[in-house]
Amino acid sequence: MTRTFDRRTVLKTGLGVGAGLLASGRISPGSARSPVRLTIAVWGGKAEIDAYNKVIAKYQAANPNVTFRLDVLPSGQFYQQIDTKLAGRQAPDLFRATYQQVGRYAMNKAAVELSKYLDSEYGTAFMPSVWSAVSYQGKPYALPHHTDTFALFYNIDLLEKAGVTVPARLEQAWTWDEFTKVARLLKEKSTGPYPFAMGWTANAVHRWLIFLYQHGGRMLSEDMKSPDINTPAGIETIAWTQNWFKEGLVPPSTSLKAAEPAQNLFANGTVPMMLNGNWQIPFVEQQAKFRWGVTYLPRDVAMADDLGGTCMAVSRDSKNPDIAADFLKFMVNEENMRDYVSSAQFLPVRKSLVESGVEFPLRSEEMKVFIEQTKTIPEHLVNTVIRPTWGKFSSKLADELDLAFTSGQAPEQTAKNIEAHVRSILLSA
Amino acid sequence: MMVTTTSPMRRRFETAGLWLLLAVGAAVMLFPIYWMLVTAIRPRDEVFSGDVSLLPSGWVWSNFVDALNHMPFLSWAWNSTVIAVVAVVITVSINLLCGYAFAKFRFAGRDILFIAVLSALMIPIQVIIVPLFLVVSDLGLLNNYWGVILPRAAEAFGIFMVRQFMVSIPDELLEAARLDGASELTIFLKVVVPLSKPVIAVLIIFTFMWRWNDFVLPLVILTDQEMYTVQVGLNLLKGQYNTEWTELMAIALLSLVPMLVIFVFFQRQLIQGIAGTGLK
Amino acid sequence: MADLSMTYPQAQSETSTSPISRWWRSNRSRLTPYLFIAPNLLLFSVFVFFPLLYAAYISVHQWSLIDVPEFAGSQNYARLLGDLQFWQALKNTVIYSAATVPTTLIIGLFLAIGLNRELAGRTLLRSMYFLPVVVSSVATALIAAWLFNDNYGVINAVLKQAGVGPVAWLSTPKWALPSIILTTLWVRIGFCMVVYLAALQSISPSYYEAAVIDGATRPQQFLYVTWPLLRPTTFLLLILNVIYSFQVFDLIYVMTGGGPGFSTTMIVQYIYRAAFANSEMGYASAMGIVLFALILLFTLIQWRINRRTEQFV
Repeated sequence: MTRTFDRRTVLKTGLGVGAGLLASGRISPGSARSPVRLTIAVWGGKAEIDAYNKVIAKYQAANPNVTFRLDVLPSGQFYQQIDTKLAGRQAPDLFRATYQQVGRYAMNKAAVELSKYLDSEYGTAFMPSVWSAVSYQGKPYALPHHTDTFALFYNIDLLEKAGVTVPARLEQAWTWDEFTKVARLLKEKSTGPYPFAMGWTANAVHRWLIFLYQHGGRMLSEDMKSPDINTPAGIETIAWTQNWFKEGLVPPSTSLKAAEPAQNLFANGTVPMMLNGNWQIPFVEQQAKFRWGVTYLPRDVAMADDLGGTCMAVSRDSKNPDIAADFLKFMVNEENMRDYVSSAQFLPVRKSLVESGVEFPLRSEEMKVFIEQTKTIPEHLVNTVIRPTWGKFSSKLADELDLAFTSGQAPEQTAKNIEAHVRSILLSA
Repeated sequence: MMVTTTSPMRRRFETAGLWLLLAVGAAVMLFPIYWMLVTAIRPRDEVFSGDVSLLPSGWVWSNFVDALNHMPFLSWAWNSTVIAVVAVVITVSINLLCGYAFAKFRFAGRDILFIAVLSALMIPIQVIIVPLFLVVSDLGLLNNYWGVILPRAAEAFGIFMVRQFMVSIPDELLEAARLDGASELTIFLKVVVPLSKPVIAVLIIFTFMWRWNDFVLPLVILTDQEMYTVQVGLNLLKGQYNTEWTELMAIALLSLVPMLVIFVFFQRQLIQGIAGTGLK
Repeated sequence: MADLSMTYPQAQSETSTSPISRWWRSNRSRLTPYLFIAPNLLLFSVFVFFPLLYAAYISVHQWSLIDVPEFAGSQNYARLLGDLQFWQALKNTVIYSAATVPTTLIIGLFLAIGLNRELAGRTLLRSMYFLPVVVSSVATALIAAWLFNDNYGVINAVLKQAGVGPVAWLSTPKWALPSIILTTLWVRIGFCMVVYLAALQSISPSYYEAAVIDGATRPQQFLYVTWPLLRPTTFLLLILNVIYSFQVFDLIYVMTGGGPGFSTTMIVQYIYRAAFANSEMGYASAMGIVLFALILLFTLIQWRINRRTEQFV
């Protein structure tokens, strides 16, 4: 990386000795046998952090010269902090990223290209969707760790009180109309001020695509070369999700740029239903003081769901990329992946584990619903969100949808604006 | 104080009415902090029950203990304290020197430099936060107390206050000392500083407050959770997996304690000190 | 003139004749002020002015933090002119400033006048008004978010009791900005009050006595004695509060994140978003430079106005 203006030289010339006398915070590089310290940056709830710590401890036991520091950063600022550190060449050795965001780092070579650490067939052991997500121009820049998807959590006590029965099979999933009717019924029976909440955030706006694809719409054309959002299907999806806010079916504070996380509202009994992901299970299990269950998402002309989950990458600032890559391979091997997903309630991404199935100590019946839902993720959706430009585009998508949800921006205008952003950002590379 | 010519009876009514108005206003001012305390000691279920009473039904002091167990608040408090204390020592010393120079010396470029110092007040830190981060990182001060202390050690507002104050120190005292052959540094230490006690008191309190309450810079510079300051830690708590407003309020309240203590013990000096600094 | 010769050690007799010490002795009084201001200037240069210059440099580039800066000429500035959301953020900031600055000044002034009188417990009352000033912005934002919370906030509970119905404070564009304004009033009134109080106490009673002799009523005393004598203070508070309101960030960041929509996005917060959420460092730096220029301009204008009416120092 070259710079046209070497500010470091200017600074060091100006300050000279004085700077050198100040305390230094640098880590000294080491070889495989000398002590090595790796920093890993992640976000997550207690279950995920515990699971990370477990695999770290295992690696340390086998490699006593390597010590780790696990930095838990707030999820809302995670990528900002990683970016700032990369700009200062102080990024951690390893960092977590969603499949939607990792492409941006791969494209800018902020993550280390890993093929020299892997044999040529390594990628075939993983589900093709996640392997494409971590690859850029055919080379892997991160290793996939787990995936997740969305389903409908519901408060059994409150739904029983209102006389609502949930679909028992995927084929019986509620249509959009039925779902809206259920929501209105719950609101009428005053089981809470708002019948449901959707667990999306500005960082995870791709979850809105669930509904877009359910309604037969999509962000890009079939050949992925032009925008396809400014269509009746796109506009109607915007209108339907906007209506949740207009009609008061969801708390106004659960829009994309919101303050109120959906799982908090569900767990303390404020909303009887929530659309959220499988990793919320440990949290809800611990917090909810009522009976609860998980059922299928509503559907429209099709059923669709979200490609969730994260991978992990070695940053270009790492002083020990070999050891970092070694730990990464260890973390995603079959045994450790199985341990992680079963304790943090995620879904595995190795074909072998998907086939054999994983034992979930907590709520295995509910996990089956999620597993079934993963089969409904459209491939076109996956290809759209794993584009390296998705990360930059998603913040603009969040802006537009948030304006529709909270500030009454018309669906037609919203679709037009999103189309413009698709052209200028999503399709720019 | 304005002089009045109305009757004593009317004056008493007026005074009582005024007092009532002021007292109600003060109660409104204090209410948010009271509410913080009340939320912190409420039983958890009562917070979300939907009925809200102004007085808590029970006092659950264990909320504080739980909060302290879940988060390394004491480390954060330690970090904030070290940073604030060191910053106070540095900032007060260099601000006194600098303000004195601007107040009592004539030198080439004095006005331009003073305006330059004042203009530093107008630069929002967010504008320079990324270049600042890069500078701190190049100096090797990331995740380090000094990376938070040094960038904010030169505080323009403090220089301004000191200068305003010192302008009113009689020149004769300084001249007399010079005639006696004392060096400038001695004059500063033995004449100027003792006379500046009011502004020093205000500067110490304000600097401590500014550094204790700093948010954006520590957010970007401190990367290790154990190194976080109280404010950065508080922001972390307002996170995704936290329904515990009781714990959040408990920690927020604890984060106020040092400033509250300083305030309670020094409010007289503080409020009177501002008068003395000639900030008028 | 006091005899201070006993307090200070006698000057050293002129025995050493090395060039350096001779040079020092003859130039001492001229160099001293520079030495005294040197630590501050050094720190400002390294940590304020150099970053500012660097920000100006970045502002003519495109840079996303994780890639290499690319020269872009005046592209960012041109974009700024056409960016509706930038102008909305600026508009929000001006509205916010206009709503908070005069209000805090006026309330602060009347509080100061009221608390300047001989009242029981006035020290306690003064302290209670000043207390919010020492609370950190993060804690303030958290308390405010809790008070204004849609579902569990006490403000809505009180409104419900009063039959006025709950208001979705922080999630409707109409009410989000007012919540922030109210919170700011809470934070800033105490500061204005204290500064005005100090100023009031330095007004000599003889002015008022003279006014009374001339037959001035209380309102007239305020208008013709108090207000004019407070002009320097008002000028100072105006500048300080406008600078504060244009730089407000922590409160917005923690309380609403700039939402809902862009209704509470202030200019500094918009800059932060551009830099960190949208990875557009060049654009963010350009906006920052423009903001700095605006604040500078405002201060200079205020300075000029004040010069014509009153001496500042």
